[in-house]
Amino acid sequence: MSLLVEVVTILLNGLQQGAIYVLLAVGLSIILGTLKFVNFAHGALYLVGAYLGLFITTEVTLSNGLLATWGYETVGFGLGFIVALVVVPIVVFVIGVAMERFVAQPFYNRPDTDQILVTFGLAVVVQEIIRTFVGGQSQSIPRPGWASGPVALPIVGNFPRWRLSVIVIAAVLVGLVYLLVEHTDFGLIVRAGTLDGEMVKLLGIRLSRPYLVVFGVGAALAGVAGVVSGPLANVNPNIGTEQLVPAFLTVVIGGVGKIEGAIVAGLLLGTVQVALIQTGFAAWSRVGLYALAATVLLVRPQGLLGSEVDVA
Amino acid sequence: MTVLETDGLTKQFGGLVAVDDVDVRIERGEGVSLIGPNGAGKSTFIDLVTQRLQPTGGDVRFKDESIVGMDPHEIVQRGMSKSFQTASVFPELTVEENATIAALAAEHGAFRLNFFRHENAYPEVTELAAEVLDSVGLYDQRDETAADLDYGNKRRLEIGIALASEPDMLLMDEPTAGMSPEETESTVNLIKEVKEAMNLTFLLVEHDMEIVFDISDRIVVLNRGQVIAAGDPKAVRDDPEVQTAYLGGTAQ
Amino acid sequence: MSDEPSDATATAPAEVERGRGFAARWSAFRDREFSTVVVMSLGVLVFPVVFNSLLDGYNQLATLMLIWGIFAVGFDILLGYTGLLSFGHAVFWGGAAYVAGIFSASVSSDPLLVILAGTGFAVLLSVIVGSLSLRRGGIYFAILTLTFGQMAFYLATSPLAFLTNGENGFTSVDIGPLFGVLDLHQPLPGAFGMLPGNTLYLFVGVLAVAAVAAANRILHSPYGIVFRAIRENERRAEFVGLNVWRYKLMAFVISAAFAGVAGSLFTIEGNYVPLDSLYWTTSGEVVIMTALGGVGSLFGPLLGAGVYLYIEFIVSGMEVIGPFWHLILGAVFVLVIVLFPAGIWGGVEAARDALAGGED
Repeated sequence: MSLLVEVVTILLNGLQQGAIYVLLAVGLSIILGTLKFVNFAHGALYLVGAYLGLFITTEVTLSNGLLATWGYETVGFGLGFIVALVVVPIVVFVIGVAMERFVAQPFYNRPDTDQILVTFGLAVVVQEIIRTFVGGQSQSIPRPGWASGPVALPIVGNFPRWRLSVIVIAAVLVGLVYLLVEHTDFGLIVRAGTLDGEMVKLLGIRLSRPYLVVFGVGAALAGVAGVVSGPLANVNPNIGTEQLVPAFLTVVIGGVGKIEGAIVAGLLLGTVQVALIQTGFAAWSRVGLYALAATVLLVRPQGLLGSEVDVA
Repeated sequence: MTVLETDGLTKQFGGLVAVDDVDVRIERGEGVSLIGPNGAGKSTFIDLVTQRLQPTGGDVRFKDESIVGMDPHEIVQRGMSKSFQTASVFPELTVEENATIAALAAEHGAFRLNFFRHENAYPEVTELAAEVLDSVGLYDQRDETAADLDYGNKRRLEIGIALASEPDMLLMDEPTAGMSPEETESTVNLIKEVKEAMNLTFLLVEHDMEIVFDISDRIVVLNRGQVIAAGDPKAVRDDPEVQTAYLGGTAQ
Repeated sequence: MSDEPSDATATAPAEVERGRGFAARWSAFRDREFSTVVVMSLGVLVFPVVFNSLLDGYNQLATLMLIWGIFAVGFDILLGYTGLLSFGHAVFWGGAAYVAGIFSASVSSDPLLVILAGTGFAVLLSVIVGSLSLRRGGIYFAILTLTFGQMAFYLATSPLAFLTNGENGFTSVDIGPLFGVLDLHQPLPGAFGMLPGNTLYLFVGVLAVAAVAAANRILHSPYGIVFRAIRENERRAEFVGLNVWRYKLMAFVISAAFAGVAGSLFTIEGNYVPLDSLYWTTSGEVVIMTALGGVGSLFGPLLGAGVYLYIEFIVSGMEVIGPFWHLILGAVFVLVIVLFPAGIWGGVEAARDALAGGED
């Protein structure tokens, strides 16, 4: 195909892959930037979102795992994707709120390393609970009818409708979060709290409630990332740990706490990865991604859009 | 001999000039206090002297050598020491271990230890650590965990640590912040003792005017990043500009 | 009390004689280096007897426990003592394992040379990775090490598959007899054949004792107190004049050396290098082992490795709870982090102190 078509295809696919990274990274970034909490369980939230999405959307046949051995071989609500898209963020939001209250709060005054350790442990527990009950086999969420098939776009011609939908969904959600943070009172409190928590408390504003919401929102975004990835990739207990590292990389490359940074970094990483795959360097695609990440971190530790003051 | 000299020292953060063309000279044996209202640039100035921040203009010379761009440990090994605003010790180590660390660095430099020699094979370090503790009156508490000390003793320990290497100059950043009157008096006496005994040169940042006028040979007044007055305590106290900017009208 | 500083060196033996009774003498014995080596050696010899007969163990698993134990002890020097959490140590473990394997196939099959090759690689690599990752602390260090680790994993998967055999793992491992005479997979000749465990176990055991002795020496050298000082208050350590960065790098390299020895032994033991050995979850495993056993202690990580592998290999085969082994591990780990930060070994020490009636 012509160079222009190839480039635009790469850009579009990169945008879609990037959209997933952005959803993960924005959530993680606000948790890290505002709550100063290192959440190594973020991948687990993605995992939960994916499985919830799976079971809400469709019915699956389980071949191993406890549920299967107990006789529940066919599990699922089969309510379709739209329901999943609505329910999953809500449920994962609640999970996020619970996490802030019961996991993050007790650890705010403990060293960073302890936060990493406990959330890492939690991630293992969540992953194993899923594996135990549902089994380790890979599933896939079927593409919803309204989003399957191709859509005709200028230049590239046919482009999978679902991939386009992912970009749109991500853009809408991230846009909403951005508006929430930048243009509401709640967002103002959160931003002020990020810069100077002491001062905000001295002003008489309790940060505990906004913090719950921040964690919930961050978690919900991760959950959505899981759901929308379902039709594109496998759903199995390992996808949480697979996505954790790219999520963190995106956050630090973009600049911790900066939503714009997470967006730019996510799209950049997605595009680079896709570009390497589509231009025949698939073997190097992952390596390239990590090399890029390492380079940015070393050359500009505050991230692409971070400010120097953030770096001690 | 001039121990510390800053020459047109400037630090700019974007549009804000925190430290503006500051010239300061400290001679050996002098106790100099740096005072000024909040936001005057005192902390920034100290950070520039210790090279925690890089200057955007001007020079900092320690014992006639420019120290701009050096790592903190290099500057410390050259004879500058610092005591922090909150007494900065090693909390979970014992008091003795705290002193030992300082002694190790003083006797053996920044990175010259052998990890295969047993710690008991360094008698000079053990001796120095004991001396340090004794000089601040904490030898009896050497087996206690540093975190368990009351704040006044933590401050003593920290000053002891800072003085273990017999520095040419000690920087003190609000050493009596948050102390009771008794603790404050005790700390001030310690500083005076040490100044006498070691002919210590120091640069002190303080808000408590009584202390400042009590122990300083000279006072430098900073306001909005610039030096507005410098001289002996009486001259500074009577300086009208200082009175307006800082003491709020008439002197106490 | 006395006003002049008493000769501090004289107080050391004086303190040793201070308390009377068994507890004080035991404490003195415990603190001596020689006794650490003795205890460890005895432990290594006695372990298979207890393990195999009472705990459903078997020699191969006991060997694996020692191997991971070496990895964990070194890792603890970095995490427990210096306070740095690396999530990329699989690159030293797996990297050494691969280099050891490739070396054995292409250069020499002598086990000692193989170990040397693997360890040497780990050390060299750690200087590079450490120099790059240690510029920032805290989470950036964890993420940077994670990044380098993953980079190595993906390199081994595809671009370097001609070396590593990619996803199938490296199968061409060729381990020969030790010193040209002693086949590690055959029973020992003569009376030595009566020793507990098997040849390979004892070979690993010797190295494990050496590793623990080395760690003990390092931690009781000035480095030990410097590492702890860095963990406690890095800024203060810098401002007493210590070159903190260099010491951190040393801690990193030392921990990588231990990982290198362990990784090489892993290849020798299994005659195979799985690709997984480079994946970040392997880094996670050693983190769990170390924290579970007890950070900041010498024997804790060994205990942690033992418990982890026991659950992974023995508990997993038990009825009822078998399939939940990984879940159990995760849950226990979380519990330890939340409630028992000093790990299992911390619990052991607390119990022992309580029994001794408190020494201080």
